[in-house]
Amino acid sequence: MKQAIEMKNVVKAYDSGFRLGELNITIPSGVIVGLIGENGAGKTTMIKSLLNVIRIDQGTIRIFEQDHQQQESKIKEDIGVVLDQTFFPELLTPKEINSIMKDIYSSWDQKFFFQYLKDFSLTVDKQIRKMSKGMRKKLEIATALAHHPKLLILDEPTSGLDPVVRNEVLDLFLDFIQEEDHTILFSTHITSDLEHIADQIIFINQGKILLNQSRDELLDSYGILKCPLEQMDTIDTQDYIAYKKNRYDAEFLVTNRRAVQKKYTDSIVDPASLEDIMVFMIKGVRK
Amino acid sequence: MKGLIKKDLFMLTGNWKYILICICIFGFISLDGSQMFYFIPVFICTMLFISTFSYDEYNKWDIYACTLPKGRLQVVRAKYLANLLLVGIAIVVTYALAFIIGTIQNNLDISKINELLFGCLFAVILLQSVMYPLIFKFGVEKGRIGLFVGVFGGGLLLGWLINNVSLPLSSGFIMFLTNHLIPILILAMIGMLIISYQISKHIYLKKEF
Repeated sequence: MKQAIEMKNVVKAYDSGFRLGELNITIPSGVIVGLIGENGAGKTTMIKSLLNVIRIDQGTIRIFEQDHQQQESKIKEDIGVVLDQTFFPELLTPKEINSIMKDIYSSWDQKFFFQYLKDFSLTVDKQIRKMSKGMRKKLEIATALAHHPKLLILDEPTSGLDPVVRNEVLDLFLDFIQEEDHTILFSTHITSDLEHIADQIIFINQGKILLNQSRDELLDSYGILKCPLEQMDTIDTQDYIAYKKNRYDAEFLVTNRRAVQKKYTDSIVDPASLEDIMVFMIKGVRK
Repeated sequence: MKGLIKKDLFMLTGNWKYILICICIFGFISLDGSQMFYFIPVFICTMLFISTFSYDEYNKWDIYACTLPKGRLQVVRAKYLANLLLVGIAIVVTYALAFIIGTIQNNLDISKINELLFGCLFAVILLQSVMYPLIFKFGVEKGRIGLFVGVFGGGLLLGWLINNVSLPLSSGFIMFLTNHLIPILILAMIGMLIISYQISKHIYLKKEF
């Protein structure tokens, strides 16, 4: 299988003390990868590194099995991007964006673009500044898709959208991924979106990768064991990776919930959501 | 690059009516014989064009531009070319209006118009050449402050040099400058633009957003 993205020993350090890496990630073609983590965890820095918006200090990045700096222009012809809070200046209209983009991308498909605008009920002559947040996001997505990219890099594409629009957008991504060589890297805070569509989850915290696993594996095996506070000490440290003390009980994040349930028959072990996993690994006490 | 030139020009389309009003006002003033009119449209266009940097900054356009194929290089080229294109249009319009007004008033002096517009072009290119690298490096606000400091400091330095240093310029050299002023200024404009563009390109290609 071809690799869409490959990051090897990637490091990016800032004067502020924040350090991303070392990152070692491989994303094969044909999958949706969800990138999760709290604010300032390094998700956007990772995305900016991939897009060469910031220069990495160390390591190599290959996209479509080509060096991301040496073949930058060629690679970017096949990447569609939706970034958080950055797009065309607000004075422009979708019609003008079409006129601009057809001179930038060799494969820009204006029929496709206008069809998207129609499907999204966007007016071609309306300035971006007069659009609602949802309309802007739809325009950004239409712009990212209209040159038929093979890789979509999306930074918080669903933030601020109402549930109806969010579902529309997620369906669009599922349509996009039907082509076997299409790949999506999707960063979000809304982990429930990823539970619906992601194949692989990368969890990043303080610049480091804490988890890089398939979604099914994560949701199937991770669980939350609950027990009264007084029984906390009876839980074997090898059985959990983090815990939280509440007022009356304690919760443990476990990586093999079925085995743990068999072992502690008096306790409840519920399946863990991505949000649970994220919260436990950030806020919980890790052993 | 054509796409990005279009982007900057599209952003200014909302300002056409203001430019037209300004041209009309200064055209009216020039009926009185004032030559201020010749400078205004070109400078208005340049200052308006600089506002595209502010819009870009406000919408964090640079980050998005860097994700486009050949984005960084095209952004710099497009900014220089779009401004030159706009200045070119302003000069043609001013020239046409000056011609019409001169003809109506029966005091048409083509060489005078040429001199004034050429001087205006030189000033605008000098402004663009100094300001753009500063904007690309420090952003619009800091770039403007940098320009002010540069112009003020440069003016002081030049004044001090003129008053305190006697340059050993021979009369032959001065005569040469006087006789070849136009080609020298044209070469100076081309030189300023090339140097300025190369500096801006160097800054922008290395810049992180």
